[in-house]
Amino acid sequence: MTSAVLGSPRPLRRRWGRLTPRLDHTLPTTAMVAAVAVLLGVGALPVAHGELVLAGLATASVAALVSRLVPGTAGAGDGGLTVAVVQLGAVGLLGAGTGSAAALFLLFGPVVSLVTLPSRRGVVAAVLGSAAVLAVPTLLPGGALPPAELPAALLLGPLVVGLGGLAVNEAGRRAERQVAVIGRLETERAALLTQVQSRADELDLATRMLAARAQTMTSVIDAVTEQSIIGTDRDGVIRVWNPGAEKMLGLQRPDVVRKRSIVDFHLPDELAAEAANAGSGAGLAALVHAAQEHGSDVRDWTYVAADGQQRTVSVAVTPRSDDRGEHAGWNFVGTDMTEARATERMKDQFVSLISHELRTPLSSILGYLELVMDDEEQPLTDEQRKFLTTVERNAQRLQRLVGDLLFTAQVEAGRFTLQPEDVDLAAVVRAAEETIRVVAATNGVDVHVDVPAEALVVPGDAVRLGQACDNLVSNAVKFTPAGGRVTLSLRAAWQAADGTVVADERPGAVPVARLAVSDTGMGIPAGEQGELFTRFFRASTARRNAVPGVGLGLTITKAITTAHGGTLDLQSAEGAGTTFTLTLPRPTA
Amino acid sequence: MDEAASVRVLVADDEDDIRDLVCLAIARAGATVVASVADGTAALAAARAELPDLAVLDVSMPGATGLEVCGALRGNPATAGVRILLLSAGASADDVARGLAAGADAYLAKPFRVAGLVQQVRALTTRQPA
Repeated sequence: MTSAVLGSPRPLRRRWGRLTPRLDHTLPTTAMVAAVAVLLGVGALPVAHGELVLAGLATASVAALVSRLVPGTAGAGDGGLTVAVVQLGAVGLLGAGTGSAAALFLLFGPVVSLVTLPSRRGVVAAVLGSAAVLAVPTLLPGGALPPAELPAALLLGPLVVGLGGLAVNEAGRRAERQVAVIGRLETERAALLTQVQSRADELDLATRMLAARAQTMTSVIDAVTEQSIIGTDRDGVIRVWNPGAEKMLGLQRPDVVRKRSIVDFHLPDELAAEAANAGSGAGLAALVHAAQEHGSDVRDWTYVAADGQQRTVSVAVTPRSDDRGEHAGWNFVGTDMTEARATERMKDQFVSLISHELRTPLSSILGYLELVMDDEEQPLTDEQRKFLTTVERNAQRLQRLVGDLLFTAQVEAGRFTLQPEDVDLAAVVRAAEETIRVVAATNGVDVHVDVPAEALVVPGDAVRLGQACDNLVSNAVKFTPAGGRVTLSLRAAWQAADGTVVADERPGAVPVARLAVSDTGMGIPAGEQGELFTRFFRASTARRNAVPGVGLGLTITKAITTAHGGTLDLQSAEGAGTTFTLTLPRPTA
Repeated sequence: MDEAASVRVLVADDEDDIRDLVCLAIARAGATVVASVADGTAALAAARAELPDLAVLDVSMPGATGLEVCGALRGNPATAGVRILLLSAGASADDVARGLAAGADAYLAKPFRVAGLVQQVRALTTRQPA
């Protein structure tokens, strides 16, 4: 992995550390003094002044001991400087004590110790010290140098020590600085390496998470075997092809991905018809224009499988974006509806056929009843009229049921059309009250009408709006026990964008007409209210109280309302009553 | 009713009961049924033979549908002037539109009220030139 390539940071200091001046500066001098002591012992060096020699050796010994025992005196600090100066003094004493020029070589030790100290003070101390050491013997009786050579020796020695010392000191300081730089670089490098390692770990984690997510997505898509999931690029070239698509269209993934276009699996005529209908481009554009405009689109398309078989597929089309949020292509998720649509068609045909066939005998029943009941030449007895009125009422009920069934089938099949005109809703409501008046009176239900005196006009189909209104009013009467009350209230109002309806005009609100049909009936249990507009659904209160009906009235009323661009809402409390509110758009003034 | 007494009507419906009902209604309207047939082909032949003032045609008939008979009558100059009333179990707006487009003068959905049929017959025949 990445970490193995980068390697772990190794401690540079361990390698470079030896170059740093950690030596015991006093050690060379100590060793040289020890050698002098040996030479003196064997008589290889003369002794001019014994007490000076002893003092020198003692001083050197003290310096050696101090540098061994006292921390900081063997290094590069002030302690080291002091010890070296003391050693220089010891050398001076030895030089003077032996009276031998050879002893002057001992200068080398402390001078080196001093000039290699980081501070330039060491060089100054070395110059002054060496001058002193050189000068001391000449000042003693029987000096080593003739007086004439004294100034030259005193000048030349410290000069050599000074210049050489400066050079050495400078080189040492430079080396020290370089070591410091190298040390800093080493620290920075170590920090960088740590950062790189951390980033590498994060990258590794992210890569593994991404791979895991991709694996999850792939496994989910691959688990879908009954729906086709097809992903394309922007040009419609297929990039994703799941097992559901393989099953539906009869081609394996390797034969399709990057090789075929989504358009290849559509009927060209269907795409051309859609392009002409929507005014979009041909081919892929016809397929995706609605999704492009609305963000998604679900509709039936005909897929053509590899064997030429055509399938009716409900396809959800959505645009796909890449990781930068830019449009990258299209997703097509399809459900095979071939059998379902065929069943729906059969059901519609069945309902149409049955309704049609029921109308013919109903025509005979109602027609002949009318002839008998309206025959002025042979008037009926009261009992005969009562019986035949019952027959007629039931025949009409059957007729309404047939009409409702047929209308529901038309709505389901999307073949429901409106005959638009200006409709006065106030008149529609009054007519509905007139229609129900007799039944309401028979049932002991009071119907109260509260409509504006003037016309309240909405654009719509008068027959269908009348049907919707009749359904609501007859339901209200049907579900209200004797002694109850039904109120029909119609008002002009305004509806805001969030759906709230207010009595007065205000900015942003659109004009609507609101019809509220309230009853004091048995109500609808809260848990059933959501299903109330589903066809053939009947509330438990209706079944329990044996209220007649098949559960189509509200389905039809809702369909009519929706077709007019309106809404149908209800509020109900079991045992207290129900209010249906029909809201329809009306023209702006 | 004197004016209507001269009005001659052709009735075509494959349902015997309905056909009889229509004939009764036409009699109530004071008109005369000159032919009563049960299929489209017979209706067309009778129309050409009798040249009635009004043809009351069921839409769903064997032989030729009421719409086809309607189109054929309108396409023949001899019968183009015959008034046509279509009866049908199809009550949708599309059904009515198709009937009127085929050339019918009026369209009545089943089940119909006898009084309504009588009214339609009178309306169509009183506009008939004497």
